[in-house]
Amino acid sequence: MTNHPLLLVPLLLNLVGGIFTLALGTQGAASVLARLRGVGFDRAHRMLNTMQRWVAVFLAAIALGVVLTLVLQTFAADAPLTYRLGGWQPPYGIVLVMDGLSALFTLMLSLVSFAVLLYTAQCRDDTMNRDLYIPLALFNLVGLNGVFITGDIFTFFVFMEVTVMSSVVLVASADTNKSPNKGGIEAAIKYLLISAMGTLFLLVGIGLVYAAFGTLNMADIGLQSSEGTAPALAGVGAAVLLCAMLLKSAVAPFHYWQPDFHTAAPTPMSALLSSVVVKIGIYGIFRLVTLMFPEFREEFGAPLVILGVIGVIFGGLNALQTHNLKRLLAYSTLGQIGFILVALGWGGVAGLTAAIVFSFNHALIKSAMLMLAGLIASRTKEKTADLIRHVGLGRGMPLISLLFFVGALALAGIPPLNGFIGKLAVVQAGVGAQGWLGLGLTIGGGILTLMYGMKTWQRIFQSEHDHNTAPLKPFNQGDSPLAPALLIGLCVVLGLAAAPLVNAALVAATRLMQPSLYISAVLSLGGG
Amino acid sequence: MDLVLAVTTGVLFGLGVYQLLRRDLIKMAMGFYILFTAINLFFFAVGAFNSEVAPYVLAGVKATLVSEAIGSLKVPADPLVQALLLTAIVISFGSYALLLGMFQRASRVLKPEGDTRDATLMPGDLNSLRDTPDWDSASRKGAEA
Repeated sequence: MTNHPLLLVPLLLNLVGGIFTLALGTQGAASVLARLRGVGFDRAHRMLNTMQRWVAVFLAAIALGVVLTLVLQTFAADAPLTYRLGGWQPPYGIVLVMDGLSALFTLMLSLVSFAVLLYTAQCRDDTMNRDLYIPLALFNLVGLNGVFITGDIFTFFVFMEVTVMSSVVLVASADTNKSPNKGGIEAAIKYLLISAMGTLFLLVGIGLVYAAFGTLNMADIGLQSSEGTAPALAGVGAAVLLCAMLLKSAVAPFHYWQPDFHTAAPTPMSALLSSVVVKIGIYGIFRLVTLMFPEFREEFGAPLVILGVIGVIFGGLNALQTHNLKRLLAYSTLGQIGFILVALGWGGVAGLTAAIVFSFNHALIKSAMLMLAGLIASRTKEKTADLIRHVGLGRGMPLISLLFFVGALALAGIPPLNGFIGKLAVVQAGVGAQGWLGLGLTIGGGILTLMYGMKTWQRIFQSEHDHNTAPLKPFNQGDSPLAPALLIGLCVVLGLAAAPLVNAALVAATRLMQPSLYISAVLSLGGG
Repeated sequence: MDLVLAVTTGVLFGLGVYQLLRRDLIKMAMGFYILFTAINLFFFAVGAFNSEVAPYVLAGVKATLVSEAIGSLKVPADPLVQALLLTAIVISFGSYALLLGMFQRASRVLKPEGDTRDATLMPGDLNSLRDTPDWDSASRKGAEA
């Protein structure tokens, strides 16, 4: 069994980057630079702020390269890659594991975080001038990277808390007396309290699982529960863990914090939150139903399908009636998470493949759309995302109009874009699982996506604009469209050439259906 | 001992949930911490207390020798649970501090104009403070992006 220290690199890069940019943001660094370059303190401070942003972009680019290498290695190898922290033989100690699922989720995270940091680097919002913004964003990425590659359920909890704390501070910091961004603190408090309840449930679940199995290693839990020696307590633990994951993913009965939180976040942060952070719970559910408790797959399937269908319809209807562009996209996330849950609930190789492909594509589309929303808002005088104020705002922005149109179509799942591939996979899974009622309701709810997408596009880009009520800033004072354009381009490419992603997801799903592969790789059974 | 732990955990859970649902922010924060204490106690009950011998012994001294020395034949307690407990305490304490800081900031930022009360000493519920946005209604002037 070989160790793959490369698994540590994305984690360490972001951690070291966070600490480095933290140092760059201090007053001391600014006064040293002011003395060295012979410029004023304020100017040195601004230079350091710019440096922070580009350091983050640079690190994200390196991390993307490393993750691509790791993904290629993972799919080339037969067994998942593992790294034992401190050299402890599992089930003792903490182990990092990258199998097909982790690889695709980490790749999704790296792509989105690169785009998000690129957008941040060119963003003119005041929030991004804060010394702590970039370090906190990087610490957030440490948590996200860790969640997707850890093979230990308690470490999963710790990394999730890292993500929660940093995103709470990022959202709250946007709300000051002067800024027009009201509601940031309220949303942050709401999220902190509700996510603490999720954490509580997660801890209770971990405690129950530990009491039942005497281990925290996911592979060891999977091994023991596949041997059929699981006591009744394990079932309770699994159900509690499932609830915690649903809460973290903002699924219908636990969703109410999500629209507030994602609306109040600064644009690049809301792009990250609404595309990748909500997938933490999805990833946890994947691990629950395939690795740790495969015997409960049937029991968990039905509620997941029901909750998913509720999410699709509820999210779609809410998105139709809201008057804030960012909030519309947050509600849309609620609906799209529903699609993923439905596919997960149907299960089987087809269902898991569909869920992976849909998650991946949704992250790219949604982060691009949220950045476009921020971009449009950055052109208004008071920086608003209110759709009433947006009527006809985009008449003079042909490029943004095109990007938004393509993004809305991709979100709705129109061929030949990548959203279509995801929806097609979900439909195939539904046909395979014979879930006709769920399938019909899901497709019906999917039409809502097209409705609100097109309604919004027409309102912003096709209506007459009244310059007296909503004056517009010139192009060069808005944010740069580079990052969303890159993501939308990727969406088109993944729609036209979908085979690599779908095949990778198929391989990942096939391996997920054989948990013994993961278990023997982590515990080095079978002569490893 | 098990009964004591079970009853205490249950009572703390009840207290925590009750406090958390009150409208006052400070009482809410208390509820938050009481709930986490309940969880920590629950972890304690899971396995940290299944023996009377400490899991950590001096270098070179075997655990059995230690247990003989204090007149008990039990195996050492599970060190992992204690480590988890420690981590959970640290994280819950951190969350609690963050929450209190947030409440303090909220009472400062959301203070209605003309209110001269000392912001740091002002509890009370969020709704009585500044009008927070009603996102879904069309009448609002607009939220920032």
